[in-house]
Amino acid sequence: MADAKPAVPPGPPRRRIGALRVIGDLITVLRANPLTLAGFVLVALIMGTAVLVAGVPFVSGLFTGHSVEVLPYAPNQISTAVKQGPSLAHPFGTDNVGEDIFSQVLYALPLDLFIGFAVTGFALLVGGLLGLVAGYWDSPGTVGGFSSVAILRVTDVFLAFPSLVLALAITAALGRGTFPAILAIMLSWWPYYVRLTRGEVLAVKHLPYVTAARGAGVSDLRILRRHILANILEPLTVYYTMDVGTVLITFSTINYVGIGVPLTVPEWGNQIVLYQDFLLNLPWTVAAPGLAIFITVLAFSLLGDGLRDILDPRSRRALTRSAGSASAGSEEA
Amino acid sequence: MTDPILEVEGLSVDYEVGAGRFHALTDVSFEMRPGEVVGIVGETGCGKSTLGHAIPRLLPVPPARVVGGAIRFQGTDLLQVPMWKIPMVRGTGIGMIFQEPINSLNPAFRIYDQLAEAVRIRLLRESGRAPSFHAGPTGFDYSRRPSPKPAEVLSHPFVPATVVERAAPVRRSPDVEREVLEYLKLVRINDPETILRLHPHELSGGMRQRVMIAMALSEKPTLLIADEPTSALDVTIQAQVLTLMKELMEEVRTSILFISHDLGVIAEMADEVGVMYAGRLVEFGPVADVFERPGHPYTKALLRSVPSRYKADGPLASLPGSVPNLSRLPTGCPFHPRCAIARPECAADPGPALAPVPSSPSSGHRAACRFPEEVAGLP
Repeated sequence: MADAKPAVPPGPPRRRIGALRVIGDLITVLRANPLTLAGFVLVALIMGTAVLVAGVPFVSGLFTGHSVEVLPYAPNQISTAVKQGPSLAHPFGTDNVGEDIFSQVLYALPLDLFIGFAVTGFALLVGGLLGLVAGYWDSPGTVGGFSSVAILRVTDVFLAFPSLVLALAITAALGRGTFPAILAIMLSWWPYYVRLTRGEVLAVKHLPYVTAARGAGVSDLRILRRHILANILEPLTVYYTMDVGTVLITFSTINYVGIGVPLTVPEWGNQIVLYQDFLLNLPWTVAAPGLAIFITVLAFSLLGDGLRDILDPRSRRALTRSAGSASAGSEEA
Repeated sequence: MTDPILEVEGLSVDYEVGAGRFHALTDVSFEMRPGEVVGIVGETGCGKSTLGHAIPRLLPVPPARVVGGAIRFQGTDLLQVPMWKIPMVRGTGIGMIFQEPINSLNPAFRIYDQLAEAVRIRLLRESGRAPSFHAGPTGFDYSRRPSPKPAEVLSHPFVPATVVERAAPVRRSPDVEREVLEYLKLVRINDPETILRLHPHELSGGMRQRVMIAMALSEKPTLLIADEPTSALDVTIQAQVLTLMKELMEEVRTSILFISHDLGVIAEMADEVGVMYAGRLVEFGPVADVFERPGHPYTKALLRSVPSRYKADGPLASLPGSVPNLSRLPTGCPFHPRCAIARPECAADPGPALAPVPSSPSSGHRAACRFPEEVAGLP
């Protein structure tokens, strides 16, 4: 067979158009799932707003020397329009000293989002890597087995405390400030990702296709990357996306308790603390940041749920097909 | 006589499950020569698959444990090779076709990527860019590549930096694409250009099994271990796959260790056959001799259980009793409780380990029974 090469035309069997293809799939899936579409649009809106709010003043400051504000009012700008309900001038009303709640809520958005992504990103990276190592090299009596045990025992120490309590304790020890608060959540967040990743690796690593890849002479690192990581990426991504919301809630909780970010920094949790005394008289002051947290968490949860369908090739194909037939049907009608 | 390509000597494997200890393989010894097809038959749970997985060291280390013996592949004892070097033997040296076609392909990748991975491994090793112990008929053959020397790789604490696998150059090359198509055509897949773009779940079981076979063959292994490659398929596809494998044996000149519980398939495929019972090799020899003149009562009973349309009257012959529990094997010969010619000494002493069968014309025909002459007299 090797000496007599059959006359196979060396034509391209398949062109890799990865990015385009993924975007195409994404559009079809989004059209088929209204809830995922809602999550996707909300997340896009939230991210876009955050970029505008944080980016425009910064970029304009760089180029023109004075920063152009996107928000109608500075977050701490007091005025005579005190205690006003929602109106066109103040969409979310004003507080007892005339500060515009709408501007405050939007001003806090970039910080809150950044914290959500930074904490989960750090947890995914550190926890994911440790989880991969602990899950894949776990034969007792080997170097890998020893490191696996070491990783898991350290993780267990962190997991022994509820994450919120641990985060509160670390913040209290580090003192007030934005950075200590972020660090505290990061330190209490990664152990969950170790456990999650390790569990997924353990579930996948003795599946026949991994054994088949080992039998084909694929090296360990490549098996870990291609055959294991590629197949556990889906649950990890879904968990990660949903977790952004959870981190937001934890961060706001720490601030609500009053040991996180200084009260002068606009942040949703801080705003709720500041205005809780006005809950009955000026309900919009508390409702607006609360609603902001609710919508952001909801958006990421919806997106995470939809990602599960998009990332799994089986359901992706099915979704694409049903979307195709649905649109074909509607055209006929 | 040529040197054996594979010598398994006194191989014993235990499974440690909880507090229990199961002797999955006990003192298994046999040899394979280049170009030979050796069949292994036995009932479920007799250790066939354990043997197949133990040779390329694919057994999960807990619970399995190699207790003793040697697996010499082209003269090198694989049990002495450090574990991290074993992937260099697999694939191009010892290839493997697995039992479960349904789950043996990675669901996240297209067929092209799976096959390309195998082809890529072989091309990298052939061109000397990836380390391997893949070898010609005798010993490790590095003549085609400038570096490294086998001793260099074996004694080096790490893989020398010069031979560390580099993924990029071969991956998208037209060579890989051409070979992938070539092997898909070899396993008689219609319209390979379309199949390449599909994910495994879009193929039928028979197609997946053929893709698996294409993957194993595309690495041109010196020794191919086929672990029940056709058991999960229905008879028509089974016949196709077997015909295909026979044709491929001629084309690729590989030695095959063919594991199956189907005596008919073994008779069709193998030159030599080993019969396993309770983790032991109880008989080994040329297929014709073993099937015509069995030297072990278990082989005789196994052959008698094969349904035949010529003896339609009366119930199917079956062997009384069941396979012994591997954690509590009977003393002496493990088969004596079910054996018609057992005598008191069989229960006391295990008897000979694979002694030549005197009545057989072939010197390679050996059985682990002390009364091989009496086997012929059994019904």
